[in-house]
Formats: sequence, structure tokens, C-alpha cells
Amino acid sequence: MACFFCALSARGPGLIQMDIARNKNADRNPLWRLLPLVHRNPWRFWGGMSLINLGRLLEAFMPLALKMGIDRMAAGDGRLAFPALAILGLMVARYIAFNFGRRYVREVGVEVAFELRQRLYWHLELMGPRFFAGYTTGDLMARAINDISLIRQMIGLGTRLLFVLGFSGIIAFVFMLHQSVSLTLLLLPALPFFAVFGWVLAAKIFNQSTIVQEGFSNLSAQVQENLNGIRTIQTHAQEAHEIRRFEDTSSHYARDYYRLMFFNSALNAWMLAITGFTTLLIVGFGGAQVVSGEISVGTFTAFIFYLGMMLSPVKEGGVMVTLFQRGGSAAARIFEILDHEPEIRDAPDAAPLDRIGGAITIRHLSYRHAGRSHEREGGWPALDDVSLEIKSGEMIAILGRVGSGKSTLLRLIVRLLDPAPGSIYLDDRDIRMLPLAQVRSQVTLVPQDPFLFATRLGHNIAYDNPERPTEEVWRAAESADLETTIRRFPNRLETQVGERGVTLSGGQKQRASLARGLIRETPVLLLDDCFSSVDTETEEFILSRLKTLRQGRTTLMVSHRVSTARHADRILVLDKGRVAEIGTHQELLAKRGLYAALERAQGRRDELTQALVAEGAVAEGSQS
Amino acid sequence: MNAPLKDKTTKDYSVFEDDIDVRNFDMRLILRLTHWIAPYRAQMLGAVALVLLAASAAVLAPVVVSRVVVDGILLPTADAAAPDFGQKALAHWLDGVTGLHPLVVACGLYALWTALWALFGHGFRIMLARAVLRGLRDLRRDLFAHLERLPSTFYDRVAVGRVMTRLTNDIETLFELLAGFGVLLGEFVPFFVAVTIMLALNPTLTFELLALLPLAALATFIFRVVSRTVYRGIRSSVSRLNENLQENLSGIEVVQLYGREQINYDRYTAINRENRHKENRAVAIESYYGPAMDSMAFLAMATIIWFGGHHVLSGAASLGSVILFAQFADMLFRPIVAMGEQWNVVFRAMASCERIFQALDWDEALKEPAHPTPLPADLKGKVEFRHLDFGYVPGSPILKDVSFTIAPGEKVAIVGPTGSGKTSLIRLLCRFYDVPAGTILLDGIDIMEVAPSEIRRRVGVVLQDFHIFSGSVYDNIALGNPNITRADAERAAKLVHADPFISALPQGYETPLTERGRNLSHGQRQLLAFARVLAMNPEVLILDEATASIDTETELVIQDALAKLTEGRTSIIIAHRLQTIREAHRIVVLTQGEVREIGTHAELIARGGVYKTLYELQVQDVKAETAS
Repeated sequence: MACFFCALSARGPGLIQMDIARNKNADRNPLWRLLPLVHRNPWRFWGGMSLINLGRLLEAFMPLALKMGIDRMAAGDGRLAFPALAILGLMVARYIAFNFGRRYVREVGVEVAFELRQRLYWHLELMGPRFFAGYTTGDLMARAINDISLIRQMIGLGTRLLFVLGFSGIIAFVFMLHQSVSLTLLLLPALPFFAVFGWVLAAKIFNQSTIVQEGFSNLSAQVQENLNGIRTIQTHAQEAHEIRRFEDTSSHYARDYYRLMFFNSALNAWMLAITGFTTLLIVGFGGAQVVSGEISVGTFTAFIFYLGMMLSPVKEGGVMVTLFQRGGSAAARIFEILDHEPEIRDAPDAAPLDRIGGAITIRHLSYRHAGRSHEREGGWPALDDVSLEIKSGEMIAILGRVGSGKSTLLRLIVRLLDPAPGSIYLDDRDIRMLPLAQVRSQVTLVPQDPFLFATRLGHNIAYDNPERPTEEVWRAAESADLETTIRRFPNRLETQVGERGVTLSGGQKQRASLARGLIRETPVLLLDDCFSSVDTETEEFILSRLKTLRQGRTTLMVSHRVSTARHADRILVLDKGRVAEIGTHQELLAKRGLYAALERAQGRRDELTQALVAEGAVAEGSQS
Repeated sequence: MNAPLKDKTTKDYSVFEDDIDVRNFDMRLILRLTHWIAPYRAQMLGAVALVLLAASAAVLAPVVVSRVVVDGILLPTADAAAPDFGQKALAHWLDGVTGLHPLVVACGLYALWTALWALFGHGFRIMLARAVLRGLRDLRRDLFAHLERLPSTFYDRVAVGRVMTRLTNDIETLFELLAGFGVLLGEFVPFFVAVTIMLALNPTLTFELLALLPLAALATFIFRVVSRTVYRGIRSSVSRLNENLQENLSGIEVVQLYGREQINYDRYTAINRENRHKENRAVAIESYYGPAMDSMAFLAMATIIWFGGHHVLSGAASLGSVILFAQFADMLFRPIVAMGEQWNVVFRAMASCERIFQALDWDEALKEPAHPTPLPADLKGKVEFRHLDFGYVPGSPILKDVSFTIAPGEKVAIVGPTGSGKTSLIRLLCRFYDVPAGTILLDGIDIMEVAPSEIRRRVGVVLQDFHIFSGSVYDNIALGNPNITRADAERAAKLVHADPFISALPQGYETPLTERGRNLSHGQRQLLAFARVLAMNPEVLILDEATASIDTETELVIQDALAKLTEGRTSIIIAHRLQTIREAHRIVVLTQGEVREIGTHAELIARGGVYKTLYELQVQDVKAETAS
């Protein structure tokens, strides 16, 4: 992601923390907070864990059988069937224990991942624009994909290693003591030294792999950006410069990757050295004890095998620590999201109205955007003491400069932003006292940005209810002047939209988005600058249809074209968040206020046009 | 593998859309990679030498334990027939030289071999990593350089995402493959050395043990077959999970406004359930396989005790050899496990190779003249089109017999309905495509005789879809051109009125911009694009005027900037706005790829043709807006 965005998203959550209530659990250790999820299947988890430990215990008996076999060989004793069969028996029992044990524990990990995905998804469905201003889609995707998978690994493998390593270390220690106290005591002091250095290396590997991951996303971001702007690069003949820049990034990445492999290899070599050194002790001192007759050759061999068991915590301890470190920070990132309380939700005593007529009353409405994070408005003027009465069935046009609060007003009415209590009324009921679901099902906002989903065109239009009959979809398409366009596609309504299908033009997208809003036929319709990419002729056509279609229903439309506004019953002009004036087209022109000024500004172009028209008039005359 | 497509007229771009799934082992793909590794062959040879040394040391260490310590010191036997690779002699000799206890000498030898094993092993791994990472870095650079120079015709047809993954994920898979290759080699070499020693020590027992190998191989094979479909299912369900989430997040506003939360959640739940089911199947399969492979070592141990024991009792083997065999037991099966692990990587890597080479072999380039004619230093800027015919697809011409001349310093507006060939005309002039020889001339020089990069340096273009890069404002004006200083950039920005808004940014010219300039308004982006082209100071300017609606104030600023930009410069503008058309010296009307009319505004209006109709339509719009 671009650096500026990083800065934003890094700051975003901080801002949000200040003004959004956070769950009281937020301060608890994220690992403890995962425990209830694991304990949804306590038998499976702890049963599995016990089985795995049982398997380790069974493994510990194997060197005993080996010892017996070797001692009998050394003694010339031919009764070798028992030790051989004992090993086979241990093998089968161990297999069963491990098979079921590992499966149960890992299934718990899968289950936790499943559950976290479900919770995260539903939670995101409830989040509001302030939240989404603080987190980019890429960031949230990364949490949903990578972090949940890290948590799954921690539970499926990390916990197993944690319990098993402790246990097998102890088992090996006990069995070794049992075989030879002096040899065991000799080995003991060396182990912590080896372990600590191994764990230090493991920590380095962990850090380095994070650096490598970041390097890879940088590389990807650079490639993506470069290819998206390839035409600009080529027209400015900057290919060579870009190739050099990419080479730098790529070499840097290769160096980081090399460091990772270096540490990995060093840990590998270190583990070998430890094994070698401890074996050396056994060979030296154990060998001397064999010569002096203190221990048998079998004991000597068994000892080498126990050593392997004893060393496994050192070898896999690093992996385990890494898994827990990553899993812990992943859990923290997931809970950070889950701890955000929804900004906008139903009041406890909210009750639905039986019928919504569509009258809107706005009383002393003020609104400030939190911080800089809200980019859409290009600043934070928002709204300042707006009062307004809209009768049911009226068509209102809202005009104003960029940043005058037009979009904010529409977003407040549909509660995409939350107004202060008692400032917006729908049919004389404070909209904060209505269930959110009812507001959103009775008030439709067609947003400025015509976002379409990568699915069929028909599904996009009938987005609110996939069960809608096809005739309705066609009707809505017709009202948005999209029908002929759709008929031109071979697959009609089944046409796939987006990267894997047809790429629609800006105007087509806007009309599809409009059709998606019109199909709902709600008592209140809010259009946020929906004609900016549509040519004036089409706009005229749609607006005239809209007038008939919305007869008796309330429609508010934001525009910055005076020509759009003329269709409305009344025109509201906003300036720096305040109501500058309101009235019919004629009234406002007569007032010679901001509306008239806006029209004049737009008409600066027309002074020139008038001159052109005068010139053209000659030609016009000659033609007829 | 797809044959490189040489035929320019029938390029099949759909190959970039196909999912490549390699099922057959194709060694050629892997072999072709050696081309990039070759420059680092010294390091590769070093790595091979080191791995052989490491493997020898790895084998000698257990030999010391079994032959020298057990057979020689602990249980002295007369059995001297079994080979000890000179270790006994070496120990004896050291004994004599140092006068230490034989056991101490043996320990010393053991320590030496182990240390060398660790050291050489480390050396091998890092040398291999170094060579491979450098080779792949070069491959990545070559691919990038290749893609960077593919002409517009390619990017017109192929989605960026399809190309991008080849540079990122596919090369990453090769990193994995070559890392995995190191693992395999690290397992296989000790295996072969161990088998060699075991054969030398006791062939019978070795064969008895090797009989277990097919069992392990069979288990691995079954695991591979069974798990393949499950893994594929997991991959597909995960990518559907991600797609669903991504769509939902990108369109969250629409989701909430249209009350789709529950439906989307239910759909996600269904995929999530499917994913859980598949994951659990994979867990079950892996739980059968993993412990089974561990068990092989135990099976080997039982075999050694039973058969090896009887060999010891019959005197066919020494006890030391049996202990050595027991120590090697683990080593025998590790290559098979490692192979099972690397198998998937190998196939994924082959698919990646195929995708990478497909892009690398994509042979599409603009014609470069063998001996390019340099453009004169003082280019006047006379542009001439002579009977220009052009089409992307044979049989459907876009431009037909276009002929007209633009005088130096002249400002020409091109108007015409959508699809009339306006965009193609200007794209040809800045050499996005090849044109027939002698059809476009710049100061009388055929542009096909000039290097495309030189044309692009002298002909400045502002397209509608110009790109803002992440980087500072200054970076975006200079675009990496070292000849454009900060002062130049500021001068250009001042001239096109971009300076006021840039100075108002938190860090002025050093303010970082978001990719695609999302933190700028549309008008600001337009001004920035003007500043960018002005900083280049091209002799000829080409501009595709933006159609997007901009508020009137900004519009006036842009119009004024445009006037500054075109002042005294040959300019060709695809005009959408009346004022721009009005300010042009001449107007060229294109319809269906043909020049219909050409002349000044007054001339064309007087003629009463297409221009007049187009013009009246425009005026009507403006009238409609100003009426009442």
C-alpha cells in the first residue's frame, strides 16, 4: 500500500479508539480470550492432547526394548523376538494415539478458525463509515486471511508442541535418570545453554520472516502500481528509470530473503552441533562407563536415543515460540476489530412505524466529521444548524459547492452517519427511534460512487432482494435508461460485470446503480449526484421518467448542474454546511442570492457561448 | 507449453486468462531456469562440493561411534573385515601421536566430523540460497523489463492482474521450489552415502531394511493421490471465501444501504462450512500419513533387532554395525517424506514456470528502426498525416486515408462522435502503435524512422486516464526524469496554476500522494498532469480533454492552464468543451475514421455540415442550462 495510506491507517484506529466505545474485554490478553473458543470443544481438545502425550510416553519405552535387544545380542542370547515384537507393539499403539490425538487437536484449530471467520464477517457487516475510514479493505482482508490462519496454526500445532515438548522433556529426563544418574547429571547443565541460543536464533527467524513478508507486499504494490500506470510511463519514456527502481526493490527483497535463509540454516547447523556435542559426552563418558562395566552397551545405545527425545524441545521450541508469538499478535489484531462497537445501532426502545409516508423534518441538525479520516468530503465542514421541512411526495434538489455538506445530509437521513437525537424526523418520529433495518428498507440512498459487484448485471440491479421477478428488473433498467444497453449484451441480465466480465463505462455503471435504487420503490429516495457521468440528454430522459415514477413519493437529489435542479419542486442550496436558501427555481433566481450566483458562475462559460450562438445564428439563418 | 506466437495478426490474448494446471512432469521448464542460474555457476559448484563434503562428514560421525568406539573399544572383536573408512587407523595414528586414551581420541574424531558436518551443511545451504536468489532476482528483473516494454496493444487486451501475479507469486513459488531443492539434496546425499556404507558393512541387512522403502513410497503415493483433490478443494473454497469477503467489504455501503447483510452472511457461512469440511478431511488424511511415516523408523528398528541380531549371533555382523544401522534407520525414510512434501511444490513451480515463460516469450513489440534518425534539436513541430490508414483488426479500419498538416505552433482541435477514431489518431502520433511507413511525419521526418522513445520525449501527451503514482508531488511531476529539477517542477506547476493547491498541502511538493491520487480532487489531478507534461517541455503537445464534470471554478482555472500549456506549441486536442474548440486555430472533424471537415470555426459553420450539427448539439446543452 502507498505510504500515505499506511500513515492514515496507522493513525485511523487511534482516532477511533478515542471516540468509539470499546469492548470492556479489550485489555485482556488475546490468548486468554481465545480459550473460550477452544473450550467449545473441551473433550476434543484435551482428549486429543492426552492421546498425543500418551503417544510420547509409549515412544519412551522404545529405547528400553532396543536396549534389551542389544544387551541380548552382546550376551549371545538368541531371544530377540520379544524386543522386536515389543517395538512393533509400541509402534502400533503409538500410531493410534498420535493419529487420533493430532486429528482432534487440529480439528479444534479448524473449528476456531471457522468460528472467528463467522464472527469477523458478521461484525464487519455492522461497522459504520468511521470504522471503514480507519481500516483499508486490504488491511481487513489480511486480518481475515493471514491472522486467522496463524491462529489456526497456533492452536493446531503450537499448543501440541507446547504440551508435548514439556512432557517429552520430562519423560526423557525420568527415563534417563532411571538408566544412569551420573550420565544424566552430566548432560543437564549443557542443555539450557544450547536451548537459549537456539531460541534466540528462532526469534531472529521470526523477525526476519516478517520483514520478508513486508518486502513482498512492497514489491507487489510497486508492480501493481507500475503496470496500472504503464501508459503514463511509456508516454513519458521512463521505462528505464522504472526498471532500475524495480531492480532496487527486487534486490533488496532478495537480500532480505537471503538473510532469512541464512538464519534458518544457522539454526539447523546449531541443532546439529548440539546433538553432536551431547552425543560426544555420552560416547566419551558413557563409553568409559561401559568399559568399566558400570553400564551395558544397550544402556549406552538407549541413552543416545533418549538424548534425541530430550533435544526435541530445543529443536522445536523455536517453532513453538514463533507460533505463539505470531498467533498471539494475530489474535490481538482480530480482537482489535471485534472490540469495535458498532457506531450506529438500534436504540433500546426503538419501535417500527406501521407505514412510512415520507415526510422528513430536520431540526437544528449539525454534524462534524471526526478528524481527517473522512476523505470523501474533502475536509470537515459538515453541517451547521440545518432546519428543513420536506413534505411527503416532494422532489427536492440540493445544490452547493464541493464540500458544502450535500452528501453528508443524505447520509445522515439514511443513518449511514448518525445524527444527534432529535434532529431528523421521518413521519414525525425521530429516526434514531426507528429500527435501523426499517430506515434502510424505507429510505434508499443511491451513492455517489456507482459500485457494482462482480456478479451478473441482473443480480446487481435486484441487489436488495435476489428473489425479485425478472420483469421488475427490466422495469427498473428501463427507468434508468439502461434497457437498450442491456439488450445489446448477448447474455442480457445474465451478463457478468467486472474484471472477469464486461467492463461497463462510467455512465453505464451510474445507471445500473440508479436502477438498483429505483427497483426498491421506497417512500424516500436519495440520489447523490447520480448523473455526473451521464450525458445531459439521457439525464433529461431519466429525470422526466423519475417525475412520474416518484409521484407521491419523496425524492431528494444532490447535483451540481443547475439543469438538474430545475426539475425539482424546490431547490435547497447549501453553503459551508448551512442552508443558504430554499425555494422554487423562479423564487431563487428572483432572490439573486447564492443560487443565482451559482448559475452565473456556471454561466461564465455561457457568456462565451452567447457570443458563439450569435456567430452561429448567421449560419443557422442561412441553413433554413 | 504454448508455442511463442509469432504471427502478429492472430495473437491470442486469451492464454493469459487460462488457468494453467500442469499435471505432467515437464523437465524442460525446470531446465530453462538454469539459464538464469548459469551466471552464478561458481557458487552452485561450490554448493555441490560442500554438500558432498557435508554428507561425508555426516556419515563418518556415526562410523566413529559404531566401529571405533563400540567394536574397537567397548566390545573389542577380531572382526576386522567390515570397512571403517580408515577411522580405526586414523584413531590409532592419533593415539600414537598424542598418547591420549583411545576413547578421548575417538571423541575428538567424532567432534571433528560433527562440526564439519554442521559447518559444510551451513555453507552448502547459504551458497545455494545465494546463487538461486540472485538468479531468480535476475529472472524477475528480466520479466519486469520485458513487460515494461510491451506495447499498448498488449495492455489494451490483457488485465494487469493477470500479468502481475507472474512477477510476484509465480516467482515466489520458484523461491520455494529452489529452497525445497536444497532440502531434498540435504536429505538425499546422506541417504546415498548411508546406503553405500551399509552395503559395505552388511549387504544382507541393508537389503532387508531397504525392503521397507517401497512400503514408505506406497504410503506417500497414496497420500499424494488422496490429498490432491482435497487440497484443490481447500484452495478453491479459500479463494471463494476471500472473494466473497472482498466484494462485501468493497461494497459495504451498498450492502448496508440495501439491507443485504443477512443474505451475504448466509452465503459466506455456506462457503465457510464447506471450507471447514474440506479442512477437516485434509486433517484426517494428514493424521493418517504423518504418524505412519514416523512409524517407519520403528519398523526399521524392529527389523534391525530381529535380523541384525541373528547376524550378530551367527557372527555375520558386528554389534557396532547393528548400532550403526539403528542410527541410520531414521535417515533412510527422510528423503521419501521430503519428496512427498516437495512434490506439490514441484508441480506448482512448473505451472509457475509456464506462466512466467509465457509472459517472457510474448513477442510483441513496436517496430524499432535499425538506424534511427535523430530528431533535430530545434524541432519546429510541424505534423503531417499522409493518407494514413489504420486498424487494430484486419478488415475493420479505424482510420481511413487521413491527410492533413499542422503548422508549427498551431493549435488544432479534433472533434467527432464517439468511435470516430480520435483517440487512435493521437495514440498513433505518440507511437503507441506501428503505422505504415511515410504516413505520419514530424518536421518532415517519417516517425517510423525515429526511435519510439525519442518521439515520446519530444511529443508530450496528457491522456484521459493519466496515472498518479504513490510518491511525492515532485516525483509525480518529474516522473523520475533526472533532468527535471525541483525548480523546474515548481515553475511548471506555477504556470498551470497547480502551485496554489500544492503549496497548501501539508508538506508542499514533498507531500506523499496516494496511488491514483485519491487524496486529490479531479481538477487537482488534471492540473498535476498538465504540470507533468509542461515540465518535459515537449515541442508537440497532445491532449485528450477530460470529460468528467468539474465544478465551474476549477473548470475556469483548467481552461486558463490549458491556454498556457498550448501557447506557441504545436497542439492537438481532442476537445469536448466549447471553449477549447473555440480557442483552436483550426478544427478537424472526424467521422467513422475519415476527415469530414477541416477549417476554422467560422468556415465550418458557414459550410453547414457535420461540424455545425455537432456544434449545435453542444450549444443546445449550454442553452438548456442557461435557459429561463
